[in-house]
Amino acid sequence: MSVSTPDLVPPRVAAGFAAGVVLLAVAPWALDLSPYSHNLVTLAFLLISGAVAWNWMGGFLGQISFGHAALFGLGGFVSARLLLSGPVPAPLAWLVGGLVAGVFSLGAHPALRLRGPYFSIATIGLGEAVRLIFTYWEDFTGGASGLSLPIDPDMKHQLYWWGLGLAAIVVAVSWLMRHSTFGLQLLAIKADVDAAGDVGVSATFYQDLVFVLSGAVVGVSGGLYASYFSFIEPNDMFGFDRSIAFVLMTVIGGVGTILGPVLGAIVFVLLRQYLLASYPDLYLGLYGALLILIILFEPLGMAGLLRRLGHLLRRRRVPAAAAGGTP
Amino acid sequence: MSAALLSVRALSKSFGGLRALDAVDLELTAGEILGVIGPNGAGKTTLFSLIAGSLQPTSGEVLFEGTPVTGRSAHRLVRGGIVRTHQIVRPFANLTVLENVTVAALHGNRRADIPARHRAPRVLEFVGLADRADQLPGQLTLAGRKRLELARALATIPRVLLLDEVIAGVNPAEAVALAALVRRVRDELGTSIIMIEHVMPAVMSLSDRVLVLDHGKKIAQGTPAEVVRDPGVIEAYLGTSSEATAP
Repeated sequence: MSVSTPDLVPPRVAAGFAAGVVLLAVAPWALDLSPYSHNLVTLAFLLISGAVAWNWMGGFLGQISFGHAALFGLGGFVSARLLLSGPVPAPLAWLVGGLVAGVFSLGAHPALRLRGPYFSIATIGLGEAVRLIFTYWEDFTGGASGLSLPIDPDMKHQLYWWGLGLAAIVVAVSWLMRHSTFGLQLLAIKADVDAAGDVGVSATFYQDLVFVLSGAVVGVSGGLYASYFSFIEPNDMFGFDRSIAFVLMTVIGGVGTILGPVLGAIVFVLLRQYLLASYPDLYLGLYGALLILIILFEPLGMAGLLRRLGHLLRRRRVPAAAAGGTP
Repeated sequence: MSAALLSVRALSKSFGGLRALDAVDLELTAGEILGVIGPNGAGKTTLFSLIAGSLQPTSGEVLFEGTPVTGRSAHRLVRGGIVRTHQIVRPFANLTVLENVTVAALHGNRRADIPARHRAPRVLEFVGLADRADQLPGQLTLAGRKRLELARALATIPRVLLLDEVIAGVNPAEAVALAALVRRVRDELGTSIIMIEHVMPAVMSLSDRVLVLDHGKKIAQGTPAEVVRDPGVIEAYLGTSSEATAP
């Protein structure tokens, strides 16, 4: 009987990941990035973090949320309020924003009585309720006119590395989750929540825990986003299209995969950046078309396509090596 | 009375006006195999769901080693040592066979002496699925998935195992093999078993005692030989002679 337990983190994966992070960290100097590209990559890091965290819930646990904008907005406004209230270090403000969003995400707990699409519909309701409350709570959010943070070019420049740090941590956590017994239980809950209970998995405990983790990360990314734009406004931060964006990024990238949400967020940022200004309608249409193609042909999204490509290359390489033979 | 590992007292469950289970008593002693038979709709699976915590009883109580565990949630009962399998097997389709069993091995009986990650491969070996460890459940035959369902339950190191038609639906050769496996669970692992089964040769040869349900009520209980001769049981299964000869 030889069922070996593989290493949690194979050395090749760890080395590749570390190399990637280091390359991205030195890229602004090495490539002499323009401020425009620098900012665009920063934004990508923030969206990557959010999409990966959404995927913990939607991909691993199978709880599709259409209300993550609530957590993003909450993190953003809590940290913005803290930054405006006095000399609070920005990282502390972001962290508090994340904690508040994480705890707040437990508000979805009662919705766990609902399953599948019904849960998702409940999250739409929760998200919209939060948006309206914060839009009318002018003392806190500035209402429809929003909040302005002091503009700090240095901070905006530094956010690149803060964003990279957040994205790196979140991707690493995603890997550990997926490859540990913790993640195994999430996948079991996703497959059949009752059967999971019948073998001893306390589904609600894991569901709540992942809600908090996901909410906290999305909250932190909302805080970074607030500092990045120096201006936030409830209808944008809490908007339904922002909730949809989390879903779209992950579905197009690959639900339940580690790389998927990363790829999905990058495509999302690029498409939006290059198409939104000139062809705002085309941008949404293109994204919709992409979504349909993905659902029809590759349920695992871009990550699934990459996997197929990898198999194809390997298959081609093996016969080639065999034909070469030994000299 | 106190010798019973599991006691069920006047357990009832109503779904609206339908009395699915009506004041059923049963006792399971350590190391025993208790068969539960009865026509379709007799309340057998409801009985399991109530004991295993999948459903809340309307009234009555369940005692495990003398402690009331009535209405406790399924995952807590598993930790205590009561686990069920499903008639329609419910593997985690997205996990491999080994991963399916590993999830279960992480929980269950805290008194277990073998660490979880070593337990899962051993359990697969026990049920004869060792060479299928890396396959997905969908690649197994129905008999294979029944073995997986059993393996997942065994990985929690249960003291009471509730088997819901683990033999029914497979070909005769597989049925014999599965029956032998159930017997090994009791003989080698010492697990006490309550089994719902429609395959009469299997349930009659495996069970120490048999309990017969009909329309939610217990209509007979005894050794297999006693139960098959019971007029009430014959009536429940075949109808009365007047019905049979009615024009």
